[in-house]
Amino acid sequence: MAHKHFRFLGVVAAAMVLTMACGGTSGGGTPTKTYKIGLVTDIGGLNDKSFNHLADIGLEKAKTDFKIQGDVKESKSGDDYVPNLTDFATKKYDLVIGVGFLMQEAVGTVSGQFPDIHFAIIDGAGTDAKGVDLKHPNVQSLYFKEQDAGAMVGVMAGWLEKNGKAKKNQHIIGAVGGISIPPVDHYIAGYKWAAKMEDPSIQVKIGYSNNFTDPAKCKGVAKSQIDAGADIVFQVAGGCGLGVLQQAGQSGVYSIGVDADQKDADPSVIASALKKVDVATYTAIKNVVNNQFQGGALTFSIANEGAGYSIDNLDVPAELKAELDKVLGQIKSGALTPPADIPA
Amino acid sequence: MPFGSVVFAFAVGALIVGATGANPFSAYAGLLCGGLGIGCTQGENPALEISNTIVFAIPLITAGVAVALPFRAGLFNIGAEGQLLAGSIACTAIGIKFNTLPAPILLPMVLVGGMAAGALWAGIPGVLKATVGAHEVVTTIMLNYIAQWLLRFLIIGGPLQLGPGTSKSLPIGEGARLATLLPADNSLIIFGLPASVYRVHTGLLIALAAAALFAFLLWRTSFGYEIRAVGQSQKAARYAGVSVRRTIILTMVIAGAFSGLAGAVQIAGVDHNLTDKYFSDTTGFDAIAVALLGLGSAVGIVLAAVLFGALHAGGAIMQSDAGISSNLVLVLQALILFSIAANFVGAIRRGLPFGRAPAALPPELPPAAGLMTEAAAAPPEPT
Amino acid sequence: MSGLEDIFHLLFTANLWQATLAAAVLLLLPALGGTISERSGVVNIAMEGMMLTGAFFAVVADLAFHNAWLATGVAVLAGALMATIHAVVSIQFRADQIVSGIAINIFAAGLTVFLANRIYGLQDVGHVGPTEGLPYIDIPGLDHIPFFGKVLFQQNVVVYMALVLLVLVHVVLFRTRLGLRIRAVGEHPQAADTAGINVYRIRYSAVITSGLLSGLAGAFLAIGISNTFVPNMTDGRGYIALAAMIFGKWTPFGAFIACLIFGLGQAIYDNNSIIHVSPYLLSTLPYILTLVVLAGLVGRATPPAADGLPYVPGSE
Repeated sequence: MAHKHFRFLGVVAAAMVLTMACGGTSGGGTPTKTYKIGLVTDIGGLNDKSFNHLADIGLEKAKTDFKIQGDVKESKSGDDYVPNLTDFATKKYDLVIGVGFLMQEAVGTVSGQFPDIHFAIIDGAGTDAKGVDLKHPNVQSLYFKEQDAGAMVGVMAGWLEKNGKAKKNQHIIGAVGGISIPPVDHYIAGYKWAAKMEDPSIQVKIGYSNNFTDPAKCKGVAKSQIDAGADIVFQVAGGCGLGVLQQAGQSGVYSIGVDADQKDADPSVIASALKKVDVATYTAIKNVVNNQFQGGALTFSIANEGAGYSIDNLDVPAELKAELDKVLGQIKSGALTPPADIPA
Repeated sequence: MPFGSVVFAFAVGALIVGATGANPFSAYAGLLCGGLGIGCTQGENPALEISNTIVFAIPLITAGVAVALPFRAGLFNIGAEGQLLAGSIACTAIGIKFNTLPAPILLPMVLVGGMAAGALWAGIPGVLKATVGAHEVVTTIMLNYIAQWLLRFLIIGGPLQLGPGTSKSLPIGEGARLATLLPADNSLIIFGLPASVYRVHTGLLIALAAAALFAFLLWRTSFGYEIRAVGQSQKAARYAGVSVRRTIILTMVIAGAFSGLAGAVQIAGVDHNLTDKYFSDTTGFDAIAVALLGLGSAVGIVLAAVLFGALHAGGAIMQSDAGISSNLVLVLQALILFSIAANFVGAIRRGLPFGRAPAALPPELPPAAGLMTEAAAAPPEPT
Repeated sequence: MSGLEDIFHLLFTANLWQATLAAAVLLLLPALGGTISERSGVVNIAMEGMMLTGAFFAVVADLAFHNAWLATGVAVLAGALMATIHAVVSIQFRADQIVSGIAINIFAAGLTVFLANRIYGLQDVGHVGPTEGLPYIDIPGLDHIPFFGKVLFQQNVVVYMALVLLVLVHVVLFRTRLGLRIRAVGEHPQAADTAGINVYRIRYSAVITSGLLSGLAGAFLAIGISNTFVPNMTDGRGYIALAAMIFGKWTPFGAFIACLIFGLGQAIYDNNSIIHVSPYLLSTLPYILTLVVLAGLVGRATPPAADGLPYVPGSE
């Protein structure tokens, strides 16, 4: 699909741009040492088809492109964050990547204990117990503007409702979140904002399953939204959210995937809000391999193609395509800015 | 502690691992490294591994006592997890509300608060059992769930929340924290790592004291005698003048206090705040296995807690070093339990061809089986 | 208070009760199994583990054979196998039945993930295709009855099976000679033995039946409601089923009522998008309600007299 091809080129271009922006040209010859990269996943595990899975994809890609040894530790519970990060640090890995907002405090603690080890964290910073960024120089934060991606799928949902091209067309759509944490809520914020922009009479039902792993838990929440009239449901709940997609399929309505392109998860998926966690992971590794690690924050958004959307199992009318392209351009240029907080 | 059962479990575990095409030796090597710091090949630090084991073991000691004590009275405290959560919540709430108070005041407050909350959480089923005969398995399970959801209510959008959009609580005040045994200093290097990495805390001493107190209570006090009497036979105990109703209630209350203490110590010593991970915490359930494996003795419980802590810590290393799911540890735990309960080792010994007289079999389990019948069937008559 | 109003309105929707029944069935099947087992005198708190085992093998089999019925058969057998371990350990080796039950639960939790890891690696367990799960069937004609049509006749096929089983278990236990035998073995095994009833055979059969039923529940969860295996996906339902069984005083219909209460709680919680009460406080309601009922109305819960005691011939 041309769309995908273009996106991939964009991804590679973004990676190169970011690398150069990070500090000088990538000089030097091929590194002779084998870099050891450690990835600590969040409790969703690697089979969430989105978040952790994408980080692993980034790691695998780096394995083929560079001479690295990549190891993954799955965190089974919050108790495992500190021991997992510490274990990699103790073994003097060249880069320890924490995947997830919930790991902030753990990264803050361990990065303070091992100032000579490089850390990266996705969706957060190394913080103290109060959530204050400790700004350790050995920690790189990889943030995403999920609201950009959420906005794009929100445009789609709103347009479909407004023009009567959804399934029930009652101007009701839904979003099922895992837990009310910033990465989740940013998506929902962009979604609601954009949907209202397209269709001012739209209602957005927002619910939480409080679970990121078990599809059965998200199914019930999705069903209640669908029963209340929603005919497009956006999942923002990792592995659990796959139950949302499944329920949409069973109820004969549309669904929207998250983080990765979830086109194959269920035929009901019409679009996915993309968060290029694989790009971020790859970029962080690439920086270390090229000895260009820098502490501080990197933000991935539509502007640098670190976030985006994909159109999945739907034939999109030309007018919708045009609207999507228009809004994409506006967000890119800064003319439109999706909010980070869910609008009322 | 029945070592034979542990050996049996590891042997069968090795068979299971081998049957699925994996290497049991590398699996167990991983466990050994992560649990006891022995034979680490991938650059792990033995001192750190031992430290992690002890950190995992500490709450299991106190919670194990909380399960073992009611066992003696013929009660099954499957509610240890809920009581532990209650203790954690109370400790956090007090630690936050009074966070400016100095340690000599605040620390005892949070610990006692935790014990009180746990005592309440166990006291309710105790009273219900003693008065209307409500089955303690059901009531404690209910309270487990209530505690879980109460936790979520408090830290997600509730009064203890750190801030909007987070799923954890504010941190407790400095005065409520239990010190680590080694100074929490990032620059002081001990055994090759910064000292702050070793999370072993003074809660260890509290846990050991709890185990000692349990033994003293059970064997050196008249109340302990009453507990054991009720556990053996409620009828006989009544004839001997023991108030069965009072004993049941008091035993549950004390057990709850122990559980609550375990939860409070975990917050004060390790986490310093409440997070959503407590929703799926399994310490209270692991404690049941610890109490059984420890055969109800204080020393046994401590050893069993250390074993389970070692398995927990070892599992993570086994998974990353040998690529075998850390859930194998659960399989091993289950096999240990089966072996003890069914006395497989004794059966194997009896089957030996040379007719060697079996060495002393593991001592009788506490009369837990009786609890579903006698204890449940006939709530005590008023004295 | 708008929150209570929301709930009130919700209680009158068919959708809510439809979800309630489905959630209740998931608890009912293991509760029926537990009832049969305990009526024969074997304490069975291993429903959680047997259900989880069933769930896992249902997914493995469905992914391999792409046939939901075959997969369900495998799941049911897997549950029965787990139950057999419990039966052998408890009846043959006379182990403490509570310990054995807990050990089964831990064993199942560990074994399922361990095997998943060995079979599928650290990655995806895989998802069962939309057409390969246990089907939802609208019973023609009856499903158009207002309100009740949706609740009772637009359900997954396992729900219908469970309702039939509910009646069947009740009838067998209380209206047939087999049921009398089972209950006799549970109350006075010595007398039953003297009367020529094979105590061991009845107890083994009862425990294995509980495994069959729990395995079926696991299949429903994994390939009926969901479409994959997730570690610990049973999420304590086996323990709630245990509570339901005791709440229902070891009778099928009593347990069913308790299961409906818990199912209702789950269904209300799932509606947190449209009601404005803290979903967490809501979730505590079924449990608080159970406590209140146990404290006041239900009265003493008396299990079968020989429940939990290994049968030793000639011991009385």
